[in-house]
Amino acid sequence: MAQVQDEWSITAELARLELDENEELILAREAERMRELFLTMSRADADKPEPTTQAVELNNRIRPDYVDSFNNVESLIEASPEQEDDFFLIPNVL
Amino acid sequence: MPQITTNWSGVITNPERKQSYIRSVREIDKNIGSFLSFNPDLPGSDTTVKGALGGMPIAVKDNIAVTGHPLTCGSRILENLVAPYTATAVQRLEDAGAVVVGKTNLDEFGMGSSNENSALGTTVNPWNNDRVPGGSSGGSAAAVAAGLVPLALGSDTGGSVRQPANFCGVYGLKPTYGSVSRFGLTAYASSLEVIGTLTRDIDLMETAFGIMSGIDENDQSSVSYEDSVVPGSDISSVVMLSVGNDMLDDPVARAYMETGEALRAAGYSVTEISLPSLDLVVPAYYTIATAEASANLARFNGIRYGYAPDFAENPADLMKKARHEGFGREVKLRILLGTYVLRSGFQDQYYGRAQKIRTLIRKELESVFSSADLLLMPVFPTQAFLKGDSEMDDFKQRLADVFTCLANLSGLPALSLPIGVENGLPTGVQFMAPSFGEQRLFKVARNLKDTFPLQTPPNYLDIGSLV
Repeated sequence: MAQVQDEWSITAELARLELDENEELILAREAERMRELFLTMSRADADKPEPTTQAVELNNRIRPDYVDSFNNVESLIEASPEQEDDFFLIPNVL
Repeated sequence: MPQITTNWSGVITNPERKQSYIRSVREIDKNIGSFLSFNPDLPGSDTTVKGALGGMPIAVKDNIAVTGHPLTCGSRILENLVAPYTATAVQRLEDAGAVVVGKTNLDEFGMGSSNENSALGTTVNPWNNDRVPGGSSGGSAAAVAAGLVPLALGSDTGGSVRQPANFCGVYGLKPTYGSVSRFGLTAYASSLEVIGTLTRDIDLMETAFGIMSGIDENDQSSVSYEDSVVPGSDISSVVMLSVGNDMLDDPVARAYMETGEALRAAGYSVTEISLPSLDLVVPAYYTIATAEASANLARFNGIRYGYAPDFAENPADLMKKARHEGFGREVKLRILLGTYVLRSGFQDQYYGRAQKIRTLIRKELESVFSSADLLLMPVFPTQAFLKGDSEMDDFKQRLADVFTCLANLSGLPALSLPIGVENGLPTGVQFMAPSFGEQRLFKVARNLKDTFPLQTPPNYLDIGSLV
């Protein structure tokens, strides 16, 4: 179980998730249960089909290249956790 | 224009009726908790627009943007976010006269089948307050079932409109992928999800879908509905998915068989089929959904918007703290799983394989619809289960998505409809149609309407009785 838990700890680090000890234990157990479910896909005869990434056929749509204005800048700034004048205020991390 | 529109006219525009309506909603919703926010007086709500839905109050799931309303996604990480723009689907309804009166509860970011994963409120089933309303659009389903609004929007990624609709005894539509713009829907699993509708009136559902659907320049995956529509006339053949005896609870199995019999009595040809890939649906679905979730939710990093911790040593620490304190357990689990299946060395084994299985499933369904007009299936193996039910833990809830996530993997439209009430709880079934075959779904629902009339839960708000 320790090895399994290490694997999920590495994955959590990649996902930028901080997990406390209890959380890590529970999530590793649940994730492992789901991984075992995912492994049942190996018994399908699915080597030949092309993968489906979208349910509908998509063509690349290109919009005209023109300058557009957004007239609701204040609401975007107000939606931020903290602001100063016209700037987003973010925590000091340096 | 649907008859129900007349019943709701004046509820918002007549000041006395409006006050009476607001009082009634607040009183009833104290026990149900369907709304995370209820504010019909929000500045900017235009109650004077004439149109097919003129003055009709609607509710919107709280992962869909409406200008000036909160957009919490049921998550602590977005608890204080107010939407600065409106989703295209909502805008089109507003342009037809609908008025958004509130935002409804959901499992955090749409991840769950019970509404118990919401970080911001508890919603219960209007039929029995000890039971869950389903999820993730449980707030929308509960609000419609209790008569608080005639129409609500939800999002369906793996059954999140149809399953709560089924638990609460209302209609729930998951449209064809691409038929309704996703612009303004908070992304969870982009290749699977679509905005859907919940209502007690099939005519209103058809009207609302007609208004919402169509191409949108803000959504690359949206398509022109008129160019693709499959006519609803002349449907005569229905195939029923063959379901093992042990897969369904008795009331659900009875409703399923009764529907088959009613269809035969109505003159439909009904035959049974099995889907060889059915066992692979849930693992393929959760592999793809979690992979897309891990990518989409990377944007919640404590910097761009939403919750941010007071202090962090460095940017990586800031992001980890924000996500640790802001996300609930189910969301963390799905991000973890999605990151795992996309990891270098594992991607072909999990994510790549799931995409190929998705192709197999699509081909099986294409074969089904080459000889039948509709596919009849159960929605969920049980009726609404108890809150905190240990018999239905999170893992079992995910396995139980087998009948609903089939439509999301294939992109096909599906409609869940109520069949009856047993032991005080609704039962129902769902129909699936070929791509852009929503008209077939509306037609079969109308044909069954008199055989299986809708029922109302205790404390239902009868809008006609409002002073």
